[in-house]
Amino acid sequence: MNTLFQLVMANFKEMVRDRMALFWFLAFPVLFILLFGTIFSENNDTASFSIGLVQEEPGLLGDGLAQALGSIPSLKIERGTSRQQELRALERGDRSLVIVLPAGLSRLLEEGSSAEIPIYYDETRQSSHVLLPVIGRVLDEVERRMTNSPRLLDPRPEPVHAVRLRQIDYLLPGVLAMAIMQLGLFGSLRLAYLREQKILKRLGATPLPRGMLLGGEVIVRLLMALIQTTTIVVIGALVFRVTVLGSWFIVVGLVLMGAATFVSLGYMLVSFARSEESGHGIIQLVQFPMMFISGIFFPVNMMPGFLRPVMKAMPLTYLADALRQVMTGTPPQYSLATDVTVLGAWLIVTFALGIRFFQWE
Amino acid sequence: MSLNNSIVNVQDLRKYYGKVRAVDGLSFTVEKGEIFGMLGPNGAGKTTTVEVLVGIRKRDSGTVFVLGMDPERQPMAVKDRIGVQLQTASMYPRLTVSEVVRLFCSFYSRHLEPAEIISQVGLQNKAGTQIKNLSGGQVQRLAIALAMVNDGDLVFLDEPTTGLDPQARRNLWDVVFSLKKSGKTIFLTTHYMDEAERLCDRVAVIDHGKIIALGSPHDLIRDHFLERALEFIQPALAGDERLSGLSGVTRVRGNGERVTLYTTDVPRTIASLMELGEVVGAPIKDMVIRQATLEDVFLKLTGRRIRE
Ligand SMILES: Nc1ncnc2c1ncn2[C@@H]1O[C@H](COP(=O)(O)OP(=O)(O)OP(=O)(O)O)[C@@H](O)[C@H]1O
Ligand SMILES: [Mg+2]
Repeated sequence: MNTLFQLVMANFKEMVRDRMALFWFLAFPVLFILLFGTIFSENNDTASFSIGLVQEEPGLLGDGLAQALGSIPSLKIERGTSRQQELRALERGDRSLVIVLPAGLSRLLEEGSSAEIPIYYDETRQSSHVLLPVIGRVLDEVERRMTNSPRLLDPRPEPVHAVRLRQIDYLLPGVLAMAIMQLGLFGSLRLAYLREQKILKRLGATPLPRGMLLGGEVIVRLLMALIQTTTIVVIGALVFRVTVLGSWFIVVGLVLMGAATFVSLGYMLVSFARSEESGHGIIQLVQFPMMFISGIFFPVNMMPGFLRPVMKAMPLTYLADALRQVMTGTPPQYSLATDVTVLGAWLIVTFALGIRFFQWE
Repeated sequence: MSLNNSIVNVQDLRKYYGKVRAVDGLSFTVEKGEIFGMLGPNGAGKTTTVEVLVGIRKRDSGTVFVLGMDPERQPMAVKDRIGVQLQTASMYPRLTVSEVVRLFCSFYSRHLEPAEIISQVGLQNKAGTQIKNLSGGQVQRLAIALAMVNDGDLVFLDEPTTGLDPQARRNLWDVVFSLKKSGKTIFLTTHYMDEAERLCDRVAVIDHGKIIALGSPHDLIRDHFLERALEFIQPALAGDERLSGLSGVTRVRGNGERVTLYTTDVPRTIASLMELGEVVGAPIKDMVIRQATLEDVFLKLTGRRIRE
């Protein structure tokens, strides 16, 4: 126990005294968040979302809907005169979403039959995916009041304006996932360094078991991942007022699992490299595309079709998706169970390959 | 020498890397309390031997016992009781001297006081310095300190002084002597003749993975050279056939202008050499008489100098 503790302490000191490592693992993701967070918040935070509402026949429904939507702070309702006009505004990017209450709607409702309400949105805009569920919920509420149907299931009172609508909420968990990936992949180059400098060899001449040696390395990476998480969450909270919605327990679990997966992937890649330098090359080859194709900076539907299968294969996609849905309640791409399963599979496979191919000399 | 009391016992040890016969049938023992040296040129197989003995390299064949145990069968038990300094190994660059020593202490079932070890190798002023900021000599001292942390009965030092200036080498020799004084057995490799002569109780001279001579430096020199070496510089006489006919001379070696005569009778050889010098009209200058060294032994046995 004391041996492991001493090893962890030693590795930790080595990492903290390495300015470059600190920059890449801590300062870099923070800079990312500050930079992109500021750019995005200028666009969205102040200007809020503009929703076009077109009423093709007069009626109470339109007013009620406008009122309900208007009560949500970050939504601005534009009562449009015609469908065409509003759709053009949507194409120009002046509207985030357009709701049309078609002619004949009130008659249908009076008859008690169901009616369709077209909602137009831009598929490539991230905000659409956040807005759609909000609109849906508002419509439900309006319908319930109109039909005077009693509330059988009393929903948990959830103030609609607490639903996250900002880009930073999408971005922040993704950057955390990216930081964890950097840590796992580039951090494992240390093993190649220890091998190249014959430090592993020297340790091999002591009674220190190899498992403990590796354990000490991995534990330090996991600790560092927690430090990254804390730093990023604190910066997010202080600068952009991002609050973590999900349970801390699950967030920490995901962070540890993600870190373990990328450390394992890193060790596997390093085990195919002869030197630290070639290891660096191999890791960059994997890390760079993964950073852009995992939907950290822009969502899946902006990705050209041929890249989607690649994205679906990448572990970072799932870590980012899991962190987004748990931390900021971003509408998920996959279920949390899927995310965790895919990450787990990556962890097991890379671990097995790493063990199989790692050369101690 | 009783096999049972030997600290190290090696019989017919072999280790090949493909076609390279790094170690090619070594047999020797190391006795308690001695400084045993392995002397040989680059690539002779010294490091390979050390690595097999300390349990970090598998041998191809032969038997090896270290402290009565086979390092391949009981690696942890062997490693726990020996100290090791490896030729090429470095250390965690951003840890301080005392941090590394403390870390190593935690690896062993018993260990000395970190501060005590550090002052034994004279690094007390550098205890708080990170490894990457140490000088070459200080790194080497640290490496020896790390070989001492567990107070092992047997300490392996693989070329402990290579690359050090003469002063730093002397200092390290003092450390090695103090280790011996504290009752430890030391196995060291070197390709410095003077180091082997000064430090070692017994030396195995090794070349191409084979032992070509084994014994105390004194015995080796006496066995191979009853004669003294007489060196002088005189271009006119270099290569002169008459030199080998001088009285007392057994062999002649020329090395450019420098001539070495091996002789059993120094006074008579000098007298006849002077005479020859007069005859040729080339007086002898800069004459040095010295005892033969291990260098001469190596030269005689292999026809090569140990460091070309
Ligand atoms: N891992 C290896 N793979 C292949 N060949 C090796 C390996 N290690 C050593 N050799 C070869 O084995 C031979 C003996 O090497 P070794 O390192 O034991 O020599 P040495 O006596 O320690 O030399 P030096 O004085 O240079 O340290 C050399 O020819 C070397 O090239
Ligand atoms: Mg060597």
